[in-house]
Amino acid sequence: MPVEGVWDLSVSTPIGLVEAVVELRREDGLLRGAAHGAGEEVPLGDVRLEGDRLTWKQAVTTPLRLNLAFDVTVTGDTLTGTSRAGRLPASKVTGRRRALPPAGEPRR
Amino acid sequence: MHAQIVLFDGFDPLDVIAPYEVLHAGGAASGGLVTVELASAEGPREVAGGTGGLALRATAALDPARADLVLVPGASGRVAAPDEADGPAPDAGDRQQDASIPVLLGRTLTTGLPALLRTAVADPEVIVGAVCGGTLVLAMAGLLEGRHATTHHLGLDMLDATGVHAVRARVVDDGDLVTGAGVTSGLDLALHLLEREVGPRIAHAVEELFAYERRGVVWRDRGPVPTAA
Repeated sequence: MPVEGVWDLSVSTPIGLVEAVVELRREDGLLRGAAHGAGEEVPLGDVRLEGDRLTWKQAVTTPLRLNLAFDVTVTGDTLTGTSRAGRLPASKVTGRRRALPPAGEPRR
Repeated sequence: MHAQIVLFDGFDPLDVIAPYEVLHAGGAASGGLVTVELASAEGPREVAGGTGGLALRATAALDPARADLVLVPGASGRVAAPDEADGPAPDAGDRQQDASIPVLLGRTLTTGLPALLRTAVADPEVIVGAVCGGTLVLAMAGLLEGRHATTHHLGLDMLDATGVHAVRARVVDDGDLVTGAGVTSGLDLALHLLEREVGPRIAHAVEELFAYERRGVVWRDRGPVPTAA
């Protein structure tokens, strides 16, 4: 299951739901990613894909500082799973992949 | 030493009053070497705490340029399960009652408090103290990256997840950052600061007056690392 693209995530944290944008891409065959938010880009750590199970680590800075470990299952253009803040119990994550511009349409 | 203790909506009154009384008594016992006032990021105002709405009055604006010690209390409210919060993250307009402690602490992120605390943390002349969930106010704002600190035992895992070296001790002294564990540790934290900044005789006099003796080791990142038992 290809997972490349821009994903809009909704992550439960101890202070409530936090929205996050994650971009995944392949460079030299390796899966890499970055999180976007508040004008900054934070690289994702330990991005791994096994079948349709995707895991990565992410240091969130806004709206609060939190180290999160994601473990999600990708189905088409949606993903569901969990994120863990350190030793805290896992909480829910859902995500949706943004639609790409149709092939052949000029990209601006 | 001039201390400002921060009030924010939903603060825990005992987190505020315990260090306030200790520092105030330290001032009296030392002929005025310690002064203490309650401050808020918004300036003088009445601030409702999280325990039955018990309110205290901030008489000053929080101003790290005027303070030698800035002390942040925790919040009082419902103890939430860590995965319970599934409403939207806080915004300034949201003021429902019965909020959980992490949500109350998280609401401070939408106020002017984090910017003022950032100034205080960045200034080596200012000691930043925190009691209970107050450490999480600083940590969630991203101000304690890589530091050693403690908080209420129910918040230690959260503290760890913010990039802080969370230490399970009653008081942790990390130089210009001094933090206390749950609620009543504010007494121990303030007595430790009195001893460190003013002197052991003054700290002892306040202990005696309050009929309270500190307990536990003040943790510092010093000496041999204990081997695993």
